Amino acid sequence: MLLFLAGALPVDLPLKAHPLRLSLCEIEYTSDKKLLKVNLKLFLTDVNEALVFDPYSKELAFCKPNESPRAETLLVNYLNQYFYIKINGKKLPLEIRHKKLSGEGDNTALWLFFQYEQVGPINELEIRDDVFTDLFFDQSNLVYLHIDGEPRSLMLNKKSPVHTLNF
Amino acid sequence: MHFGIKKINVNQIALLMAMTMLSACTTQTNSGESENAASAGDNDQIRKKAMAIHDRVLTIDTHADTPLRMIQPGFDMGERHDPNETGSKVDYPRMIEGGLDGIFFAAFVAQGARDDAGNVGAKTLCLQMIDSIVASTEKYSDLAGLALTPDDAYRLEKEGKRAIYIGIENGYPIGGDVSNVEVYFNKGVRYITLVHSSNNDLADSATDEKGPEHGGISELGMRVVREMNRLGIMVDISHGNDSVFYDAIKISQAPIIASHSNARSVTDSPRNMTDEMLKLMAENGGVVQLTMLSSYLMDIPENTERDAAIAALREKYPDMAALTAEERQKVRKEFQAINEKYPEPLANVEHVADHIDHIAKVAGIDHVGIGCDFDGGGGIEGVFDVSEVKNITIELVERGYTEEEIRKIWGGNIMRVFREVQTTAEKIQSGELAAN
Repeated sequence: MLLFLAGALPVDLPLKAHPLRLSLCEIEYTSDKKLLKVNLKLFLTDVNEALVFDPYSKELAFCKPNESPRAETLLVNYLNQYFYIKINGKKLPLEIRHKKLSGEGDNTALWLFFQYEQVGPINELEIRDDVFTDLFFDQSNLVYLHIDGEPRSLMLNKKSPVHTLNF
Repeated sequence: MHFGIKKINVNQIALLMAMTMLSACTTQTNSGESENAASAGDNDQIRKKAMAIHDRVLTIDTHADTPLRMIQPGFDMGERHDPNETGSKVDYPRMIEGGLDGIFFAAFVAQGARDDAGNVGAKTLCLQMIDSIVASTEKYSDLAGLALTPDDAYRLEKEGKRAIYIGIENGYPIGGDVSNVEVYFNKGVRYITLVHSSNNDLADSATDEKGPEHGGISELGMRVVREMNRLGIMVDISHGNDSVFYDAIKISQAPIIASHSNARSVTDSPRNMTDEMLKLMAENGGVVQLTMLSSYLMDIPENTERDAAIAALREKYPDMAALTAEERQKVRKEFQAINEKYPEPLANVEHVADHIDHIAKVAGIDHVGIGCDFDGGGGIEGVFDVSEVKNITIELVERGYTEEEIRKIWGGNIMRVFREVQTTAEKIQSGELAAN
């Protein structure tokens, strides 16, 4: 089960600016299927700011018919600097399975979906998520984990970018 | 009455008071300087009076998303954090510095799938967040205590401890099972914000881009409100659309609250309340708790100098996407320098007082309070974190609010509503009042 967020992220997101800088990562693992799903929800304005220094740039045009051929590569290269998941010490490759946009205006979010098969059993899960902390000192990245149906939440940021869970 | 004192960090107060005293002692050579000295003396008097009032009255903030910080590995409520380094706005040492006697920590779960699996997950996450709040009070039982009734806040204040109340922001973790409301009540939850940024099964959001789907509060939401009445949980309509407010007023047998909302006729936002709603809130006996979010407090002005500097930088690097990693780091520093030179304008405590003035005028002094939304986006110039909430009191004293009025704003009103909510619950449970 994944928590597919609809609309805006927490907590208060007025239209002009994000008073709380936030992203969301959902991780779901089902041991009987050996299936690990990872979803990242990022504000599109933050993605554009990080990649092309312009929150309202239309250059990369994520999920549009005219999406730039270098958009995904730029994004993955960026994410590889600030985000990873290690299962039992081994880092998972960031290959976007699919992506979509949700929301409108400044609240438009870019969803990235990753999926890994034949994973497990998981004894140790290490996550790093300090995306956008190079842009905003107070960026917070919420992580929801559902390991065999057992939910758990974490908040990672510049001060605490990495956390390891043992099972 | 307004002296236009620039608000200050509480850590600067002692220094400024000393400077003011020094200034007052200086021999004056002309009438202008004498006036300045008199004004500084007035300011000093106002600050002293405000500090004394702030210390005497019960100060309650009805909304903080600090539990989001509590799930950050290594975060410790007993340590003082620098908000400019960490972004953290609340911890126990800064509550003491700010003279904040009590706070409602909101257990928040982002809206997810509205199905059985989503509901179960949301409930588990919500319970974990509640547990983290309780754990922080147990770990620092010398500084804070879990509060469940209005009387607890006054008792803990006398003991020199902060009163920690629990709310739930977003009714999503209730799922489709109304009996969960009692589960949360038994865990210590004393208000529930029915909905958040997007519609849920209980109610419509003020900010869901898809628009309303229930026309306000759903049938399930109505059952939840009645159960909250029965148990003694305050009904919070912040984040709901206007219809949610009108429905809540109709359905609830006890007064309702807006835990963090402002006045729409002062600042136009769907998250703020119209004058008609404010008047109805007064008739209902409820309270609107003002929040410290710039976008809800003022119309954000254009930052033209910054925009021009950024545009010039972009012209300098026409193909940002083609930059090497080293080049990107250099350009990032240039952008950061511009952002530091021309920061985004924040609302200030005068905007807060403008909203308080308006609500007091339209709804009455008995229907306004404070719900800063720290750690959920709240934080303005002069009230950037919890250590600076005294500046609200200074501004209110400057504007001529009496101690009794400030007592109501800072805690008296919300405690009155809380007490009425619990009394209503007792009457429903005893059969004295028939449930809706």
